[in-house]
Amino acid sequence: MTTLYFEDFAPGQIYRGGPYHVTKEEIVEFAREFDPQPHHLDEEAGKNSLLGGLAASGWHVSAMSMRMFCDAILSRAAALGAPGVEDCRWMKPVRPGDDLRLEITIMETRASKSKPQLGFVKMDWRVFNQTEQVASFISSPMFARRTAHVV
Amino acid sequence: MWFEDIEIGARRDLGSYTFTEAEMIAFAKKYDPQPIHIDPDAAKKSIYGGLIASGWHTAAIWMKLAVGNRMMEPGDKKLNRAGVSPGFEDMRWLKPVRPGDTLYYSSEVAGKVDLKSRPTLGLVKSLNEARDAKGELYMSFIGKGFVIRRPTGE
Repeated sequence: MTTLYFEDFAPGQIYRGGPYHVTKEEIVEFAREFDPQPHHLDEEAGKNSLLGGLAASGWHVSAMSMRMFCDAILSRAAALGAPGVEDCRWMKPVRPGDDLRLEITIMETRASKSKPQLGFVKMDWRVFNQTEQVASFISSPMFARRTAHVV
Repeated sequence: MWFEDIEIGARRDLGSYTFTEAEMIAFAKKYDPQPIHIDPDAAKKSIYGGLIASGWHTAAIWMKLAVGNRMMEPGDKKLNRAGVSPGFEDMRWLKPVRPGDTLYYSSEVAGKVDLKSRPTLGLVKSLNEARDAKGELYMSFIGKGFVIRRPTGE
């Protein structure tokens, strides 16, 4: 597969990732380690919460989104990390049995003035569930290497 | 404590966490399998000069410590959280986290938002940080959480 450099990205492009099948075991395992609130661990507690049933920690949803992003783009991009995330929204509960998919829209590309070997690629991530609801949204920049500087 | 009782500027130390190489690799293999996070040799040759934690791992540890801290809140100070969050803003990964690093996490109330759509809840924004023992900032983000309003009559 050809490597994706900064110059390969253009606003309006869409990249797709997933599917990611969500299991109860994984929801509970992640929550035990990082977010042990009852509604991420227990069906009954989930029902009695705003989530209306057992649902994944938002941090877990983001981690699963990252995995889909890695497999879809990062594994073949000349990526040089990310400075952070501008906005992350957890919009719908993610539940056992859900099948998630990721849609990445390239929003903006900009060469770095201070680092000529780099460019910024700004992306919107949308995580859809199997009923085509957007379960999560992320707006995030990534650094990518420029082809002119490949040696 | 209810939404109304929360004071802007109130700050809590959430405790510290020491990252091990094994945990960093285990997290990244599942959720962020980039060579700089899972392969010490490849990471050594990268611009980072060694293995670094996934930024999502550094952030998830904030949640782990925050939940642990909540469990220790004394009864009269216990906040009536809804336990869910609509997301976060402005996550910054400022310095790479390396094996053996110990980070000190904190949370400070940055703002309160009334919600027209949810009259029983308010939204609390917090400035959350992870620093090393010297005070150098490694990660920060604006967290959001729903907190229950004081029921009428109380």
